[in-house]
Amino acid sequence: MTKHRLPYALTATGVVTLLGALALVFFFAPQDAVQGPVQRIFYVHVSAAIAGFACFGVVVVASVLHLVRTGAASDRLARAAAQVGLVMLTVNISMGIVWAKPIWGWDPSQTWDARFTTTVVLWLIYAGYLLVRKFAAPGRQASRLAAVVGIFGFIDVPIVYFSVQWWRTLHPSLRAGNGQPALPAAMLLTFGVTAVAMLILTAALVSVRYSIEQQAEEQESRATNASLELAR
Amino acid sequence: MRSLQIALAVARKDLRSEWRGRELLPALATFVLLALVIANFAFDLNGASVPRLAPGILWLVLVFVGLVAFGRSFAGEKERGSLEAMLLTPAPAGALFAGKAGAAGLVLLATEAVLLVGMALFLGAPLSAAVIAITFAASLGIAALGSLFAALVAQTRAKELLLPVLVLPLWLPFVVLGGRALQEAFAGQAMRPGPSLLLLDLGVLFWIAAVLAARFVLDD
Repeated sequence: MTKHRLPYALTATGVVTLLGALALVFFFAPQDAVQGPVQRIFYVHVSAAIAGFACFGVVVVASVLHLVRTGAASDRLARAAAQVGLVMLTVNISMGIVWAKPIWGWDPSQTWDARFTTTVVLWLIYAGYLLVRKFAAPGRQASRLAAVVGIFGFIDVPIVYFSVQWWRTLHPSLRAGNGQPALPAAMLLTFGVTAVAMLILTAALVSVRYSIEQQAEEQESRATNASLELAR
Repeated sequence: MRSLQIALAVARKDLRSEWRGRELLPALATFVLLALVIANFAFDLNGASVPRLAPGILWLVLVFVGLVAFGRSFAGEKERGSLEAMLLTPAPAGALFAGKAGAAGLVLLATEAVLLVGMALFLGAPLSAAVIAITFAASLGIAALGSLFAALVAQTRAKELLLPVLVLPLWLPFVVLGGRALQEAFAGQAMRPGPSLLLLDLGVLFWIAAVLAARFVLDD
């Protein structure tokens, strides 16, 4: 417990802030006049995307560190962040689909929305990142090859972000035409709190994944040492 | 300067080997022509639909040709064990990579020439300076990323499976930008230098990034 205090602390904080955020989403934020209650999906949908992007940002930083210094910790962090980032992006995509269905009458066979498409591509890139880890020789090779994929894969993040400006898309912009936020203050506050709560929860998940990876490595190293002892 | 000489020597070696063996280019040219025949039947092409569908057909054929061209470039070396031999020399990995990627890129350009001529002959797609410029400009970045990831997957199991999974999403900016520009070019609109220049800029950027990353990919 004392050794792995950070995951517990982050999980507790994340759960409390997320409960607070959900209270704001359902009881404080005003109902959208046009879309009705389904618009409340927005708060978790966008926050999950931000959390996913943050995870992939961590993958890039940890991958660069790993290539420069070849440390086990940075590789472990990149691995953990990529897994959690994929989970967050899955939440974002599935929430988006649920939201889009009644509002746009959305049918993927008819509407290949630019932001949706680029987000799916991002998901595929980091799924490929995990596949590289699976198919490369474990250890140094897997971590170095995956680091290169993790760095190059981040190219898609700005493309997802700017897709609403570059292409005709059904996604609304967070800014109105005059540069002012497109949301009223109560909605903005709710969105801000939900985004922070999701980021804390994401950090908790990354730290849990990190400590699982660390324990697995320690166990493997103990098993190798034990078999070496037996061989002697 | 020395790195450039090494890169040119590696590219010359790869191109000479391809010229003597005549393996990849005839196979890719045949593949291109077969793909055009299939496209002709699959889309039931006619004079009115060709300008609209031609960019899509071009990019589909091009990305699949690229997968084979770049995949073979590093997989062959790995199978023969010659990649390890090259890496044992004091030559920088970035220069070796640039040479191999350059040669694979030239093979892709030659295949594109067959593709464009084939599209003009068999589909009646108008062959203009704009179409050639856009296709060739996109090839620069496609070659850099394709070669880097071909080198990467050559070190893993299931190379044939991993290469498309990794490289197709990263080729997307070229397909999107090039596809849009080709729509205009095939529709006979006046050529705008912007898209070709943007594709070239992206290509140069990816070349620099790929040469820098090659050290980490080929090192193992």
